[in-house]
Amino acid sequence: MTITRRRFAELGAGTAFSVASKLLLSQGVSTHSAKPLPRAAPSGRPFNAHFVDVAHQAGLRETIIYGSALAPKYIVESTGCGCAFIDYDNDGWMDIFLLSGTRLEGAPDGATNRLYKNNRDGAFTDVTEKAGLHSAGWGSGVCVADYNNDGFDDIFITRFGQNSLYRNNGDGTFTDVTKTAGLLNEDTRWGAGCSFVDYDRDGHLDLFVSNYVRFSFEHMPVPGQNSSCMWKGIPVQCGPRGLPACRHSLYKNNGDGTFTEVTERAGIHKAPLTYGMTVVAADFDEDGWPDIYIACDSTPSLLFMNNHDGTFREEGLLRGVALSDDGVEQAGMGIGLGDYNLDGHLDIFKTHFADDSNVLYRNDGKAYFDDATISSRLGVETRYVCWGAGMVDLDNDGYPDLFMTTGNIYPAIETRLPQYPNKTPRAIFRNLGKGVFEELVSHAGTGIASAHCSRGCAFGDFDNDGDIDILVINLNEPPSLLRNDVSGKANWIKVKLEGGKSNRSAMGARVVAHYGGKSQAQAVLSQSSFFSCNDPRLHFGLGNISSVDLDVYWPTGLHETFSNIAANQLITIKEGVGRVGNRGWSK
Amino acid sequence: MRAAALTFFMFVIGACLARAEQPQIEAHLGKGTQLMQQELFEAAANEFDQALAVNPSDPRAHFQFAVCLLSLGRNDNARQHFEQVRKLAGESRYLTYYFGRLDLLANDYASAIRWLASVVEDPPFPDVAFHLGVAYVSSGDMSNGIKCLERAAKVLPRDYRVHYRLARAYATAGREQDAAREFDLYNQFRDEHKNTETEARACTTALHSQSIETAREVCHRMFDPNDPEKLTLLGQLFGDAGAFDDALGPLKRAVQLDPKSFEAWHNLGVTYFRLQRYGDARRPLETAVGLRPEFYGSVVLLGATLYMLGDDDAALPVLEHAHQLNPADSQTKDVLEKLRAAPPKK
Repeated sequence: MTITRRRFAELGAGTAFSVASKLLLSQGVSTHSAKPLPRAAPSGRPFNAHFVDVAHQAGLRETIIYGSALAPKYIVESTGCGCAFIDYDNDGWMDIFLLSGTRLEGAPDGATNRLYKNNRDGAFTDVTEKAGLHSAGWGSGVCVADYNNDGFDDIFITRFGQNSLYRNNGDGTFTDVTKTAGLLNEDTRWGAGCSFVDYDRDGHLDLFVSNYVRFSFEHMPVPGQNSSCMWKGIPVQCGPRGLPACRHSLYKNNGDGTFTEVTERAGIHKAPLTYGMTVVAADFDEDGWPDIYIACDSTPSLLFMNNHDGTFREEGLLRGVALSDDGVEQAGMGIGLGDYNLDGHLDIFKTHFADDSNVLYRNDGKAYFDDATISSRLGVETRYVCWGAGMVDLDNDGYPDLFMTTGNIYPAIETRLPQYPNKTPRAIFRNLGKGVFEELVSHAGTGIASAHCSRGCAFGDFDNDGDIDILVINLNEPPSLLRNDVSGKANWIKVKLEGGKSNRSAMGARVVAHYGGKSQAQAVLSQSSFFSCNDPRLHFGLGNISSVDLDVYWPTGLHETFSNIAANQLITIKEGVGRVGNRGWSK
Repeated sequence: MRAAALTFFMFVIGACLARAEQPQIEAHLGKGTQLMQQELFEAAANEFDQALAVNPSDPRAHFQFAVCLLSLGRNDNARQHFEQVRKLAGESRYLTYYFGRLDLLANDYASAIRWLASVVEDPPFPDVAFHLGVAYVSSGDMSNGIKCLERAAKVLPRDYRVHYRLARAYATAGREQDAAREFDLYNQFRDEHKNTETEARACTTALHSQSIETAREVCHRMFDPNDPEKLTLLGQLFGDAGAFDDALGPLKRAVQLDPKSFEAWHNLGVTYFRLQRYGDARRPLETAVGLRPEFYGSVVLLGATLYMLGDDDAALPVLEHAHQLNPADSQTKDVLEKLRAAPPKK
């Protein structure tokens, strides 16, 4: 065969341009990538927590409808929702509230948020209709607290469209008081995270709401339409990158059942626009005033520090909780708050997208944080899109573990990219002490290893047996209720706080438990994990220690101490009064 | 970093000239290098693995494989191959740098500091001071960490990572004013980076969906006469869309600003070639090949350029090298046969 000069020139003309920049490759929701770190050899230590999914036998059988299970067209179908443990009837047993979504073509039968009453025998009864909580829509987040200090926990939910406040009537029913409370939006918003927080310490719970993206079906590009609608070369639903980001909202509780938006007055509006997700409110710098941290997707996460005068200053960047260690935005989803290194300060665990590691921020007690992701060995896992998050002691050994739910947002891609399955297992990082974790997926029971497309999760003790169980939202499947069957003889204690001068739910209170030379901090939160709300009874595993000393820092500034409390019991502490009787506790 | 790694690749190449008879190795190395350029690291690793199967004592293959494995996060394997390079080719600043990086990733800060500090005065790569600063800060030595990061900020003044780390170090040290200044710089350069990203997306979309006049307007928003990376990217976007005349301006400016940019020279050469301006294509492609002699795309295009210019004597060795790098290219083989059979020119 011969080849002419012209022909060879034509072939040479096929030479590609060199790829000059990674900029062309970044798209979709994944903003930061990290290679997984090498795994250390297994510790060989037994893990005494064992999780079994008992949702079906407990009566949690209804599918959580959420968008298309196979080919979502819009991002609103993908982000999913949260859930809550709530004792709505004050009987001392955790009931369950589940958010839900809908479908583009309209809400199918069974698409509703649901309230399940705990029958105290391991089973639940659906009381949604009776409680007046039937509602279908694109649910996002839930936060629970007693906003009107009447002794019964109320529910606030966020949605694409309109958020809702449900006042607990104290008789097993709720009333939607959104409008009378002054919480109706004039425009359509995508409410995402929320937290009740008494930011001005007046004893009335205010409300912080994060917003995700400015979204409308009419103006949304379709999969593949532009580079924000592609992931690894495959057309997918667009966003959040490429869509307008949002301001977040603070509402002041007027003490009369109504709220006033104070976003500007409080300085919240000065923060950069972000894609807000889960919100936690806690006193990170231990100055007695609650601060607010928002996990943000593909934009810097925000930390609002309380100025003690009704205003906030945003200092996420300054304090090291806004970005990855190399200064890049991450896809922040869920937040676990706790004290993994037992130094008495609240640390932050934040979940992210696949191909990135989740992050662990170590608090120095003054709200300056170090990124401990690598040193803690958390960086070994980058396979999953992670959502729900907890820093909780699952095996009662006295060291808080990390838990996360997972699930992809692009169900169709697994046929072309099998390394990104839609349904993935949950993961536990058990705390080995000395600030180091070890990942467990297949050694903690079928409830962990089982693959689902999960989102929010809530931590609580639904069967009052002295350990932490986990409620999990699975999209387009029934939920999971992971019953923890802890073996061994490790001790524990649960602490329930009741505000007096402070808000009755004691939201924002910080408890430091001292046991065996360790000090573990926890906070009472109305939201954490991913868009979810945990059992308000703080649970401390104690290992082989049989008594504990407690420091209680109440939201209004009161500091109380309680010494030599025996293990393996729930104690209820009323602000300024001391220990009082437990409500409905059977043990 | 990978681009600079090729300097070391050149360094060890002398040790292997005697093995130039091993065309299989050249082909695997050439292809592996090209795949790394495209960030297809798994495929590149496979090529380097195959090169080592042919000759397990080729230090170039071990080195490229190690860099590739590091990019894949397989740090322990990367370390093993760097150790092999040390055995086969001796110590070098490049190896010292990589051992420091690996120790930093393994949280062995003391060792990372020893490695990186030993090359910070004569750094093989511009980011040595940055990584050394990170190692010091991670080890708790804030004073030395800040000094190194300040030095890194001078070497890499537009790198937002450096300013972020420096700002955090200042904040931890209680130097609030310095921290605020560095956070401002971080925000400035991070915003620039993100703006470029947004502009590049808009430009790509416009080039593929609108008239060239409209697209030109959109794309020229990212024209920055003082930023060679942006100019190279802009030229590439025009070139990828077939708008070669529009690509020329940014690329010519880019090589002026950064005469060591392989990407800019290569893209400029490709552009001239696609415009059939072979005389103009020659120098950019020669420069690109000088910077990356194992990058098949540049080598074969230089050979084709020389061939089109009628300079067959110059084309022959270049195309022979291209054929070594990619023996599967049958067209190059055909031309080579034709050139070898031709009588020598007088």
